[in-house]
Order: sequence, then structure tokens, then C-alpha cells
Amino acid sequence: MWRKTFVSVLASLIAGSAALAQTGTIAGVVLSSDGVRPVAGAAISVVGTTRGAMTGDDGRYTIVVEPGTYQLRVRRIGFAPDSATGVVVASGATTNQDFRLSVTAQVLSEVVAIGYGTTSARDLTGAVSTTTAREFNTGRVVAPEELIRAKIPGVQVIDNNEPGGGISIRIRGGTSTGIGNAPNDPLYVVDGVPLQVGGGATAGRNPLNFINPQDIESVTVLKDASSTAIYGSRGANGVVIITTKSGATGPKFSYTGTASTSRVTGGPDLVSASQFRAAVQQFAPFRSAMLGNANTNWLGAIEQDASGMEHNLALAGNRDDMRYRLGIGYLDQSGVLLGSNVERASLSFNYSDKIHNDLTLRSNLKGSRTKDRFTPGGVLGNAIAYPSTQPILTDSGTYYEFRGNAGQPITGVPSNPLAILAQLQDEGTTLRSVGDIEGEYAVPFISGLTATVRGGFDVNRADRTTFTPTTLYSQRLAATPGNIYRNIPEEQKTVLDAFAKYSRQFAMLSSEFDVTGGYSTERFRGDYPSISVSGLTSDLLGLYGIPSSTDRTPLYNVQEWRLRSGFGRANLSLLDRYLFTATMRGDRSSKFSPGHQYGVFPSAAFAWRAIDEPFVKGRTPLSDLKFRIAWGKNGNLPFNNYAGFKAYTIGSVTAQPQIGGEFVTTIRPSQVDPNLTWETTTSTNFGVDYGFLGDRVTGTIDVYTKKTTDLLFTVPTAAGVALSDRVLTNIGSLQNRGFEFAIDAKLFDGSDKRSFSWDANFNASTNRNKLLTIGRPGITQILTGGIAGGVGTNIQVLQPGVPILSFLVFHQIGDTSGVPIYEDRDKNGIINSNDLRPFHSPAPKWIFGHTSNMSWLGFDASTTLRAYRGNYVYNNVSSNLGYYNILTQGNAPTNLHSSVLKTGFRAPQYQSDYYVEDASFIRMDNLTLGYTLGPIRGMNAFRVVEGARVFGTIQNVFTTTKYTGIDPTAGLNGIDNNLYPRSRTFVGGISVGF
Amino acid sequence: MLRSTIRHAAASAVVLAVIAGCSDIPLQPKSDITSANIFNDPSSYKSFLAKLYGGLVVTGQVGPDGNPDVRGIDEGFSQYVRGYWQLQELPTDEAIIGWGDVGLPEMNYQTWSSSNPFTTAMYGRIYYQIALVNEFLRETSDAKLDSRGVSAALKAQVHQYRAEARFLRALSYWHAVDLYGNVPLTDENTSVASLPRQAPRLEVFKFVETELKAIRPELPAKSAGANYARASQAAVDMVLAHLYLNAKVYTGTERYADARTAAEAVIAAGFTLDPSYRHLFQADNHTSPELIFTIPQDGVRTRTWGGLTFLVHAAIGGSIDAGAYGVNGGWWGLRLRSPVADRYAAEPAGTDARAAIMYTTGQSRVASNVGDFATGYAYPKYSNKTSAGVSGSNADFPDTDFPMFRLADAYLIYAEAVARGAGGSATLAVSYVNMLRQRAYGSTAGNILPAELTPQFVLDERSRELGWEAFRRQDLVRFGQFTEAGIWEWKGGVQAGKVTAAYRDLYPIPANELSANPNVKQNPGY
Repeated sequence: MWRKTFVSVLASLIAGSAALAQTGTIAGVVLSSDGVRPVAGAAISVVGTTRGAMTGDDGRYTIVVEPGTYQLRVRRIGFAPDSATGVVVASGATTNQDFRLSVTAQVLSEVVAIGYGTTSARDLTGAVSTTTAREFNTGRVVAPEELIRAKIPGVQVIDNNEPGGGISIRIRGGTSTGIGNAPNDPLYVVDGVPLQVGGGATAGRNPLNFINPQDIESVTVLKDASSTAIYGSRGANGVVIITTKSGATGPKFSYTGTASTSRVTGGPDLVSASQFRAAVQQFAPFRSAMLGNANTNWLGAIEQDASGMEHNLALAGNRDDMRYRLGIGYLDQSGVLLGSNVERASLSFNYSDKIHNDLTLRSNLKGSRTKDRFTPGGVLGNAIAYPSTQPILTDSGTYYEFRGNAGQPITGVPSNPLAILAQLQDEGTTLRSVGDIEGEYAVPFISGLTATVRGGFDVNRADRTTFTPTTLYSQRLAATPGNIYRNIPEEQKTVLDAFAKYSRQFAMLSSEFDVTGGYSTERFRGDYPSISVSGLTSDLLGLYGIPSSTDRTPLYNVQEWRLRSGFGRANLSLLDRYLFTATMRGDRSSKFSPGHQYGVFPSAAFAWRAIDEPFVKGRTPLSDLKFRIAWGKNGNLPFNNYAGFKAYTIGSVTAQPQIGGEFVTTIRPSQVDPNLTWETTTSTNFGVDYGFLGDRVTGTIDVYTKKTTDLLFTVPTAAGVALSDRVLTNIGSLQNRGFEFAIDAKLFDGSDKRSFSWDANFNASTNRNKLLTIGRPGITQILTGGIAGGVGTNIQVLQPGVPILSFLVFHQIGDTSGVPIYEDRDKNGIINSNDLRPFHSPAPKWIFGHTSNMSWLGFDASTTLRAYRGNYVYNNVSSNLGYYNILTQGNAPTNLHSSVLKTGFRAPQYQSDYYVEDASFIRMDNLTLGYTLGPIRGMNAFRVVEGARVFGTIQNVFTTTKYTGIDPTAGLNGIDNNLYPRSRTFVGGISVGF
Repeated sequence: MLRSTIRHAAASAVVLAVIAGCSDIPLQPKSDITSANIFNDPSSYKSFLAKLYGGLVVTGQVGPDGNPDVRGIDEGFSQYVRGYWQLQELPTDEAIIGWGDVGLPEMNYQTWSSSNPFTTAMYGRIYYQIALVNEFLRETSDAKLDSRGVSAALKAQVHQYRAEARFLRALSYWHAVDLYGNVPLTDENTSVASLPRQAPRLEVFKFVETELKAIRPELPAKSAGANYARASQAAVDMVLAHLYLNAKVYTGTERYADARTAAEAVIAAGFTLDPSYRHLFQADNHTSPELIFTIPQDGVRTRTWGGLTFLVHAAIGGSIDAGAYGVNGGWWGLRLRSPVADRYAAEPAGTDARAAIMYTTGQSRVASNVGDFATGYAYPKYSNKTSAGVSGSNADFPDTDFPMFRLADAYLIYAEAVARGAGGSATLAVSYVNMLRQRAYGSTAGNILPAELTPQFVLDERSRELGWEAFRRQDLVRFGQFTEAGIWEWKGGVQAGKVTAAYRDLYPIPANELSANPNVKQNPGY
């Protein structure tokens, strides 16, 4: 939109002035480097002026300028920029200047989505990074987030090895505490529609599952407050703007298909069958008779070589001004654990048309159906906990289970994971659609004024059903055996945006100015019915029906919120090199009680294009130099929709106390802080954009500091007056400081098709997170981070002065015959919780990313490397199975982690720092080789294959780490507890364009 | 021109941003009831009262878990009876628990700190109960009732509810003063916006005493029939009896005579000893004529991971057949420490039915390894089987009610007061003790002579009769044998056992409370 306005305004200005002044013309054609294909949409600018033009579909452009000698610069997404110097224009004459652009995968995109508009990368004042389709990671990509992994400094993509499982993005660390009061996730905006994320249908799953990565044109990450302030109370954790592909000159068909196979790499380090037998004989001799003679690899038995395939078909084209793109995708991906699979069918439709001279209509519609099958709960945990001395099957061919002396079922024993796999079923389907329709009206009588109205929606409906048959071993002794849980969340959100933009050029000053102002309203409603039954009378219906049962708990809950906002942004570009941006958003959120709903979020930024100063230009090896400084304020809304409302909750029928002869349903009043408000993050960013050697080397450097105040904490209340021992309130502050560095280099420029081309990107970022205060003098710690083993055991802490979610552990300074010696920090002779100390945190101190793209003749190769330094993981598998007393607990011995062979622990030592491991790693995430066949002019004149590419990819080529657990990227909070195993994936694929 | 354009644009941007600020968005929760209309339904008063009773048995609004009241700890651990039981039993010579949950071993060892999750959770549970009662009393004042136009009949009913609520508050304050010493004291008149004041133990003692005496006339005589498990005069007298029995500890002044008087009132109320000792702890114990005040549980309607669910399951492990106790499995946690077996063994020959509860097959007498269930005798005292041998309605959640006060306790309070020379009849006292022992032995073989009735004997007899009924720590503190005197395995954190500092007679005020309320000072020593 912005560019269109810019061009039309520019054109009218030029047209107006041409009649008056002496002018000449520069004209030419921009072609691809092979000189065959015209490059449409390339931006030509006349350096040092505001003049410029875009190439048409034929690659041609025309610019009218005053006579003189000029430097021209040309840029186009996907091509290396080019320039021409010494272009002489005489009055009344036309100077011809053609360009040939070479294709590249690493170019800062020209047009950057910034929320309610776009801008050019050149004019950016904030910390914004864009990754376009050409730069995306390739291979088997199930989740859109994987596209940008390791690409953008300051953006951490937190893995989940389960297909379709929840992936998280952290931009410059979290601004909240990460303990469930307010999000640390960024705001996702897909084609202008802010997504509903978290809870309901997306709970535990990747919120972006509904998007086919193949439909994505670009992912823009707004990192600093100056760029995110336009999203006000939801911008504190950054904004991820996803733009889907739109129509093109066509019609063009394209097809991409891949097939893949994955295999588990690594796993927990458990004792061998003989080690286990020896341990039982030593520490639980009375149980020796229970041991079998098998040597079972339980983990191996529940793993599979996972196959996957993907087909994507797109049709893009135009008729006059109407452009369209239709994308159809199908994905079928199994997980490396038996039983897990995701199947997705997706459809996207993008349309735009100039239905009237002044009115452009656009619409983006996306819909998908995702069917998930889950590896039943307990399969992985039981496979790890099952002693390898026991067989999978008994001699009679039934699943082996631990039994009592008389062969009777017993509780308190591990369950055979293969029996669970064979019987328990867990499936879900998610239907989601996100779309918008947008009209943009260029107000005819006021040059430079456009008005846009956009209506958007995000609806989803999901179901998930878990069926546990009565025959399952663990159900044999259950009070009410056999159960079904069915959960059917339904969420709908609507968005209405209306905004106008006015822009104006001041040719004399080489300056321009634009202002955008608008209004936005969002409404959300979620309906959450669920039913849980147990004591099934029949297993025959499986997942697909609920027979009569002894216990039934239906639940139904409605959640709503609304957001009403006004926003404005002004940009001023003075003398083409001093850039000012100011934004403001006022948000009113229904989540807070009346009187506390409104907040204002301002930002301001300044950038100086030093390279365009006369005293710099041409006097240094630099080809680009821009300094940016930005300041802004953002909010972060709590998850809870009614956090400020006192209400009574009705008790369930299974929580009725007996009063006299009857059971009475209870009501419970809630304790709330009526003054509750959002968390506020104030941040400052200082950045430099640089380029050398005619932009063969480009990059950015950013330094930032973010301070969050009014942090939402659930804090202890004073006893005796509050109606809860905890209340959610705004108290405390935290800080993130960081440094980001990125460099893109065209090591070999591949200027013609036969030569070698190599683009390399390297980025590094560091973020230091620190809780500053908890706001109330006496509160020194808030515990969090529940682990397996020990009910209610927390391993992490929020404590002023240390990073959030630091591990809180004893310092183990030695041991004597299996009893650890902990440092008695308060020297009182007693080891208790006063001797715990914060020790490292899960957040990486440094994240490095590297991408290389190479091509030669028709071959191409690319690779992505990623490294973390200073991230720590609590190895919960090791702590939970790493002590000998576990052999005597329960009714059967439980498997041991091999750490016990070193520690010799008799009793569990959950809080020993022994289990907090350095999980720094280097991983080659991706290695791709491809070969492209050029245009094939077939015998059949009607069937012309434009190009075809075959490629192969290996994902997770290698991982080098000292960490001993399943995966050094261990989940969100650094607690490795039976994580879905990581795998290596081999992908083969083909893309063809017609 | 440039400047004025910018100025106009900036002004209009501000105007647009402010549009959103015009008026509040009125959006009320749909799936919860707001405080404005909850009492439009007259049944809400009873539902609120049920929440107060429920505070003793369930842990939140979903049974057995899912929407907890107390949030600083795992929901199952936050249950009132479970928390109270653990604080009164685990650090004593009666019980040990084998689990490694953070903070739990410290309960075995008497090495807790002020941030121990179990002492913190009990404090939170007690004060949650107190705050809820205060809120109930505020919401049911005559002025409030009149403003809502409630009927005269309902008003009369609510008056009794209020007395019951005050009983529950007094009960919790007794627990607070016993466990934590000087504690915050609030009632319905305390401003909810204020930080409560920490009251000396004496003041809390007097508050409990005054409240109980004030409400006694408004309550039914016994907690039976339509009043089953509800506050009654007998329940009031039992709290008073315990309060007076421990008055020296709480206030520095002995009140044994008052304890005796309160016990006499209970004994006169017409309770009788249950012929079957075991029946007191079985799934149909609500039919027992001995029980004075219970906290009822039900396998279908009243589900919790605390209370009897904990007491039945956690005591089962080793070779014990869980099915014989009406449940589907053991949790391999609770066992006896050796002094309990020793106290039974020190008795004259004969079969003490109470000792027969001990399960010794495959178990060692001394709890040598805390984490190993096979060390220490098992003591499956509580059961989910009825006296007829029928399993309770649910194999996870027992139907058994927690016997908080029973006649035997009143007898022993009377006996102790007499033995301490606080008046009363020595003959009667001996006969009360012997009634218990005759039930235990099934004969007079265990009867004692008047000369044997010493305070120390009563202390030991309380352990034999009331073992694992959440009295032991209180009793040992009263006798000065909890910390500086008395040694049993693992006391102080070493297997041989060692004495601990006297300040551990009281639990620490939780660190959370000190941070939330600067008016509250920590107990000495912590």
C-alpha cells in the first residue's frame, strides 16, 4: 500500500512539475542476469533525490528528472541490488540505462511490513528483520516458525520434536516471568489479523499449525518498541508479521512435493539389563525374583522410522488488475514415536483487484484441517521407566506386565508401553480459518490520502478425544476403570480496522511526510465444553462414542475479551537522510475492571542515513551506513480474561462436603486485585545498518535495553484478610539487555550464470535477563518449575538479581557412599531450603546462526548452523530415576538412569546442582542440495515447464553437545522430562513450475 | 507549511488514539457468578456454609483436584486434615514418611525452615478458612440480610449458620495458636484493606475461648443426624478441653481443671465407646456412637487426595494387600517409628487390639532407611472397608470419615487432668482408662491400678489409643518431650536420633507471611 501511494504521489508530482521545469528522462529495462526475463517490480531510485520508479511487468521504467548527472540504484526482492553511476541526463532528451540483476537468496527486502502499512527497508527507523521465501529454511518444515530458525539475531525458536507440537518464539528474551500470568510469546499477525494464541484449540500445539509454510511470502519480526508500539498493549514481546504469497503475473502453476524419513538420534542414558540386575541384587534383593532374563530396548520398541510427505500446488495469476493465488497443501507426517502423526490439508486464497480507479479490494483466506494422532500419554515415560530385564511379551504372546505373587494385577508398577500403544487412543482434529477482506480507497480530491477498511476473522474449532479402555493394565485396579475425555474448544475472533494514511512530498527539501491514523476493535469469544467420563461399561465404541459410565463430569465455560484501540504513526524524512518516526496507540482492554482499562503506548525513533551525507558518500568504502535510535513503551496483557472481577465459583459434584445427611455444592468467592493492569515494557534500541563494497557485504548491529515494570506476579497475601493465599497483582520489574549482530556477505557474487555464487549470513545475539525486583520488601523468592519426582517439587526460582527461571539447587560439594554433601550456605549445621541457591538459567547467553547459500550452474546448496552458549538444562530423567531407593518403592523395581552408577545416590536428590547441565551445543539444522533445470521448451507448445528443481535435505545433520539428556534445546523452560526425542530427517523433493 | 502539516497530523493522530479511551468496555464474566447477584439465590447461604465445612475436607472447587483454594503447594498436599496430621505426627516418635518430596524429609527430621512448603501450606489453609469465615459473617450480617429482604425463616437458619461458621473459625485459631504461636488475629470486623496485627498467644487463646462460649448455646447438643459432622456443643467442649489442657503451653497458665470440666461435659453428653476399636477408622465409622466430631469423606461426592485418601493409601505398602483395606493400591509412605511398637510391647501380656493393627510381615521394627517402606512397622489403621467387610464406594477415595474428636480422647483428657491433680475423681479417671484398655484387650488383663495413673502413663496411653490421630506433637510439647527431651530414630536428621532445639516446639511463621505482612514477627529461633 505504502509503495503504491508513494509511487502515485511521486508520479503526480513529477507530472505536475515537468510542464514547468526543464527536464529530461531516464528510461530502460531491468532484466534477469541471463538477459532473458524481465524483472517486474524493481525499484529504481535516483540517489540524492526523491525521484524513482518501479518497473512494469515488461521490466521497463521511466523517470523524469532535471538535467544533470545522477547515480541510479535498483533493488528488487530476490535480486542483488545494482547501481549505475554517471548517468547524464540532458534537457528534453532520454537517457537509456538498462540493468541486469542476478538472483540472490540474501537480500534485505525492499518492502517491509510494519503493521497497518509497509515501508522500505531503507526508511526503517526501528529494529525490524524480514525473511522472505527465498531465504527460508528448507526441507521438511511442518511449522512456520522453523522457516526463520537461526536466521534473525535476537529471535530464539524453541524446538519441539513432536510433529505439530508447540513451538515457541522468544524475541530478545521474555518480558514476563514465564510462569503463566502473562505471555512471553510475541504477537502473531497474519495478513493483518492478530492471531488468538494459547489455550483452547491451540493448547499444547503449535498455534501456527494451520498455516502451510509454502504459502508464506515473508516473515517480519518487529523487535524493538518503536516498531511494536503500533500494537500497543500486546507488543512487548515483539510482533511476528506473516504475509502470505499473493498473485503474480501468470497464470503459473507450481508444484512442490517432498518425501522424508526421520530416525531418532540420541536418548536418555539408562542402565543396561545387567547393570540393572546387579543393582536390584544389591539394593533390593527381595525383588530379584521379579526380574526377567530379557534384554529389552524399550525405547527402541516404541520408536519408528517416521515417514512424511508433502504436496503443494499453487496457481497464481492475473487478469488486468486482478491478481489471485490459490494454494493447496497436503502434509502427512509421522512422528518418531509410534502413534504420533499429523495430517494437514490447507487451502489459501489471495485476491486483489482494482475494482475502480480509486478502490482496491484485497482478500486473504486461509483454512486448514489438521488431524493429530498423539502418542498416548505414559508411553514414553513407561518405556524409560521399564526395566530392560523384562520382556515385551510373555511366553503366551500377551503383553508382559508386573504382577503380584498370585498373578493378580498390582498398582504402583510401570505399565508396558507397547500395551498402552496398542490400546489407548488419543486423537484430535483442528479446523481453523483466518482471513480478511480489505478495501483501500485513494480519496480522489486529496492527493496522497488513502483510507483502508479491513475486516478480519480467526475462527477455530477443535476436538480431542482420549480413550482409555478398561482392559488397560493400569485400569484393572482403578476405582472406575476405563475413561474417555473429550474436549471441544471453539474460538472466534473478529477484527475491524479502519485507518487512513496521508502522505506528502516536499520536493524542494527532498523530504516527505506521511501520517497514518486509525481505529481497531477486536472481539473474542471462546466456548470450552468438555466431558470426562470414567467407569466405562463397554470398550467397544472406542473413541467414537460414550457408552454409559459410572462417573461423568461435563464442563462448560465461556471466555470473552474485547480490545478497542486508536493508533497513529507519523514518518518524516528530511533531506532524504534524516528519518523520524513517532507512533502512539491507545488500548482499552476489557480484561481489567472499569477505570483501569485504558493505556497509551507511545514511541519515537530517529534514523540518520549517514551514507547519504555529502561528506560520507563516496569517501569511504561504505556503501550503506545508517544509524537508528528508538524508544518506546509497550504493554503485555495477562492471560486471565477477568482478572479484575470478584466472582463466585461453583464447586463440582465431587467436591461436596457433607452437612448433616446431605452433600451440598459449594460456592467460593475469589480474591482479586481490582487495580490490576498490564505489564509495561519500556525499551531503547540503538542500531547501525551498514554495507560495504557496493552492498556486497551488508548487516546490522543493534544494542537494546528493555525494562518491564508492573510485572504480573502471583504473590502471597497477608493471612487473615485475603480470600486466597495468593493474588495476582502488578508488582516487580525485570530487565533484558542485549546485543545483536548480523552480517550478510556475497562471498562469490555469481554475476553470470556460469560462475559460482555463495551468500553467507552470520548472526550472533546475546540477551541478559535479570529480575530486578519483586516489589515487596520481604518477598525474596517465588518458586516455580515443577518437575517429575516428588509431588509439588519446584526446581526454578524468580529472584531479584538473577535471570528468571534460574535453577534453585543445592551446591553439591561431594558425597560419601551415595549421600551427597551439600554446601551449608548459612552455616547452621542444617541443610534445608535456606541452603539453596540460584544456579544458571535455561536461557542461552549467546545464540549464533549461520546460513550459506551456494549455486553453480544449475546446482545449489545451502546449510544452516545454529549454536547456543550458556543455556542450562535440568536433567529430570536423570534425577527422577537416578537413586537406588526407587528399586524398593512401589510394587516393582523401576528402571535406573545411568547417572546413579556415578552418584550412587540412595535417596532422591532432586535439588542437587548435579542435574543442572550445561547444554551449549552446535547443530547443523539443515543441509540442502538441489539442481535446477532451466526452462524446457517442450515439444508440446502448450506445455512449457518453466523450471524444475530437485533437491535433497538433511535436517539435524549433527548436534555437538556435552548435555547428556535427550535434547539440549529441551523445551521451553529447560526441564528435560521425557521430552519427545529428536531425530535426523532425510528429505527428497521436487518443485516444478508450469 | 511543512510544520503546520505535521502539527495537524500529530493532532489528529492523538485524537484517533484517544477515541479508544472514551468509555469502559463493560464485559462481565459469563461462567462465574458475580458478587452482585450471588445471594439472589437463597441457597447460596447454605452453599457458602458448605464451603466453610468443605475447607476441612476438599481442596478446591473440583474434586479431587483441578481448581485449588490454596495455591502455594500441590493441591493434594494442601488438604486441611492431611496438612494438620502431618504437622502433628511426622516429626514425632509415632510416624515417618518415606517420600522425597521437597520439604517432606524435613518434617521427619525436625529440620524445617520458614519456607518449608508443608508448614507454609498448613498456615495458608488455616488462614484461608479464617478469611472465608470472616467473609461469610460479613455477607450474612443482619443488615445485609435485611437489605436483600430474606425471609424470617431463612434468617433464623442463617443465624445458626453463623454460629457454625464461628465454630470453624475458633477451631482453626486453636490449630494456629498450637502450631504457630503468636499469629494474626482477624474477625469479620477487620478491614480487608488492612494488614492484620499479630496477636500474642494469650489473646488468641482468649478469642477462641470467648467465641466458643458465646456460640455454644446456639448449637445443637451433638453432631448427629441432620447435624452430623456439624458444629455442636460437644464439639465446642472438645475444642475447649484441648485448649485448656494445653493452656500452660499457650499462655503460661495451667487450666487443667477447666480441661476436666469441659471433658466432663462431653462425657455427660451421652456418647458411648464403640465396642469395636477398628470400626472407628472404617468406611462406616459415621455409625459409631463414639465419634464426637468428624470430617466426613465420600468416595463419590467428597473427593480429595488428602484426608483419609492419604491416610489409607500412604500407610499401605510392602506385602500388605491393599484390597483388604478397600483401596486399589498403596502409596508406600507412612510407617511407625520404633517407640510405638516399644510402647505396646511394654504392656502386660495379652493381645492389645490396637497393637494388632501393626503390620510386621517383611517390615523391620526400626525405620532404619527413611525411603525404604520395609523399615519400620506398617500401621494401616484407617481402612476403606466397612465393619461388615464391604469395600467403600470408590477404591481411590475412601468413604471413611476423619475422627477428629471421639469419646476416648475425652476420657484421657479427664484422666490426665486428674493425674495432674486438677481435681475430679481418681476412681473415675482410672475406670475411664480401663474402659479403653478392656476394649483393647477384650478382657481386664490390661487394666491398671489407680497408682499407675500418672501423667506420663496417660501420655503413653494417648499414643496407644490415639496414635496417628493427629495429637502426638501437641501431647509431646505439653510434656516437654518433643524437642529438648526425647530421642527416636531420625529425630534431628540422624538415624540414631538426637535432641533438637526447643524453639522447634513451634513451627516458623512462613517466610511468605513475613513478606506479605510486615506486622508479623518470626518466632524466636527461626
